[in-house]
Amino acid sequence: MDPWAFFVGDVLSYIAVIVFVIGVLARVGKWLSVPVPLKVPLTPGPTTYPGVVIRLAKEVFLFRSLFKGEKKLWVGAWTFHIFLLTTLIIHVINLLYHDLWSVIGYGWYEFAGYTGIILFGALVFLLARRITAQHMRYLSKLPDYFILILLMAIVFMGNYIRSFSGVDVKQVSAWLYSLIALHPIPPPSDPYFLTHVLLAELLIMYIPFSKIMHFIGIFVSPTRNQRNDGRMRRHRNPWNFPVKIMSWDEYWAKFGDQLRGIEGENEGEAREEQKSLTGDKSGVGG
Amino acid sequence: MRLDFSNPGKKWKLYASLLSDQKELGLPFPREWTHENFKLPPNWREIFLKNMESVLKKYRSVRLFMDLCVHCGACADKCPFFLATRDPHNMPVARQDLFRSVYKKFFDASGKLLGTTAGAVKDLDEKVVDDWYTYFYQCSECRRCGVFCPYGIDTAEITIAAREVLLSIGLSTKSTTQSINKCEFIGNHLGIPPAAMANSLEFMEEELREEGWDVEIPLNKKGAEILFVTPSADYFGDPHWYTMKGYVKLFHVLDLDYTLSTYASEGGNFGLFLSYEHMKKINAKIYKEAKRLGVKWILGGECGHMYRVVHNFMGSIHEEPPDFLEEPVSPITGTKFKNAVSTKMVHICEFTADLIKHGKLKLDPSKNDQYVVTYHDSCNPARAMGLIEEPRYILRHVCNHYVELDPSVNRERTICCTAGGGLLTDECLELRYQAIKPKIDAIKRSGANFLALICAIDKAAFPTYMRHYKLPIRVGGVHELVGNALVPP
Ligand code: SF4
Ligand code: SF4
Repeated sequence: MDPWAFFVGDVLSYIAVIVFVIGVLARVGKWLSVPVPLKVPLTPGPTTYPGVVIRLAKEVFLFRSLFKGEKKLWVGAWTFHIFLLTTLIIHVINLLYHDLWSVIGYGWYEFAGYTGIILFGALVFLLARRITAQHMRYLSKLPDYFILILLMAIVFMGNYIRSFSGVDVKQVSAWLYSLIALHPIPPPSDPYFLTHVLLAELLIMYIPFSKIMHFIGIFVSPTRNQRNDGRMRRHRNPWNFPVKIMSWDEYWAKFGDQLRGIEGENEGEAREEQKSLTGDKSGVGG
Repeated sequence: MRLDFSNPGKKWKLYASLLSDQKELGLPFPREWTHENFKLPPNWREIFLKNMESVLKKYRSVRLFMDLCVHCGACADKCPFFLATRDPHNMPVARQDLFRSVYKKFFDASGKLLGTTAGAVKDLDEKVVDDWYTYFYQCSECRRCGVFCPYGIDTAEITIAAREVLLSIGLSTKSTTQSINKCEFIGNHLGIPPAAMANSLEFMEEELREEGWDVEIPLNKKGAEILFVTPSADYFGDPHWYTMKGYVKLFHVLDLDYTLSTYASEGGNFGLFLSYEHMKKINAKIYKEAKRLGVKWILGGECGHMYRVVHNFMGSIHEEPPDFLEEPVSPITGTKFKNAVSTKMVHICEFTADLIKHGKLKLDPSKNDQYVVTYHDSCNPARAMGLIEEPRYILRHVCNHYVELDPSVNRERTICCTAGGGLLTDECLELRYQAIKPKIDAIKRSGANFLALICAIDKAAFPTYMRHYKLPIRVGGVHELVGNALVPP
């Protein structure tokens, strides 16, 4: 057996999945371990949870805020994400449920072959934008380029395999099923295919440490997932601490002369009350 | 998008807090310092990082936003201070990166491994502190950037956290701490003592009497049904004064059982611009006074950042819920303010819009016929509360000529007055003249001659801008126009 194919196909694939799952859980766990002490929803903040779900759905499927923000980027980013999604779905159908094409229709099978090219085009646009716009060059750091280039390499390889390198889908399918069944068999040894798989595995392992975590983070963002009900419902701040503020007593000591004129007859009463307030520990804010 | 790498933003650094204010407020490491010499405590790095870790553990927003930003740049040109200066650090994402780069260096594997190529700072030195002080005090916490970010990354969250860290090594700004000090120990930001407040209100009563309104303004009245809390500028400043007259005329025609208070004579909250602790301290006075006076619920006047605290924070910063109050009900219409059942504090525009809706106000909008009115959305009511329709509803009923501003700077996309977040101070006035430009242009295009708004900081800032840009446009509160249109009983 080809040891390289074995390593990429049967060893690294398991490692990648493990790193991905543990890494993602750890990263999300880290986020969730930090409390949300205050209400910070941004308009349009729905007051109910169904409202929040609709809001998030609009963000996830339509990139609503980005649409408001920058139309050109919206076109590029939305195209990229939608075709990434369709590409993933097509992978699943092709490799795991190939028979489904007979239901969907082989016309779509042909069409699906070209979506990878659009995906590559969208990536070229995103990279070009980073390089050509002055502010994007300023903002972009190594990880920003790394992800784009890695994705481009993966997509390029994918397109190449599909068009020029005759990897047998049935063989790939058998390999994937063997991985799922935990009885791994070697993958096809086509070098282009193995490169494609290797790069994809690198990406999968890199996700938990990268900004790609936004695919979960978008649901965690408090400005978007909170209800706008700050005055409607009490919200708990777990690290809240008492503060000492100027008591009525101190206030009176400072401004008694002036207050006598305003509070008038109430003065005596005010003095008495002040006593009961001093002993009052339940008072808001100490 | 043009950037200016000479960092023009560095020209505007807010003045250092006065030593007396630092001492009286018990701020860390009180001392006299300058922009050239911060005089940081010897172990400042340690304190800085400790407090950075602490905010990363206190606010999920901050922790999450560190990892979440994809550097897409959609927010870059949304910040008025970037548009004004073209300073790269004033792009919201770059402002966050000032924080993120220290996070990467000390709290994240990628930065520890790859250093500056991954966006980490080289070193935590005084240059970093200088950048933080400059640019985190060049953010009005207006949250405009967050509206356009695909993940709702709100730079104001980072700014607030960064200011906590700066405060921990003894850095804060003069105008903010000055106002906080007056508020905590006299009762309001302007430092108006009780007698002066009473005088001012008496003066207002006289003025109104001359105009044919026999109005009395109750102050510190025990057992009133409603405590009315409004920014102190409302009874001292111009043009706030006319809004205040609008309120009291309104309460007069309703025969409302309310009171103002000297102890809780500030609705605004400059503590918000400094730290959680001082934000809480200033807000706590309102409940404390409501309890002493024995009112049923609280009504709040026109103010922006006041409602950032009242609407977003008041429901979680206090140990106990305000059970000594009742759920707010309009005594005139019987409407239950379901949106405020927990904090028991209602916005004046909600109150007035409800009155109009129930036909309880006799209004003569022709009284405002000399005005073509437009409305400026203050950042906090628009983006933190979603209070967008109510003021417009009121305006349409109290004046005949109402126009909207350009949608690109309107509603939740509004460009703020650029004086919030502690920037209402003269040392950055030139910066604000530039930052407000897109809004001013929109106002000019609208053809209005009256700019209505619901924020005390707006009311202080916009008249200056109008003078600077030589625009004959009057600035005033929504309730100034309500007051004009009210038919005397
Ligand atoms: S909150 Fe406002 S001032 Fe601050 S970075 Fe965002 S847009 Fe700029
Ligand atoms: S819009 Fe959001 S994700 Fe994009 S650069 Fe700005 S903060 Fe980052």
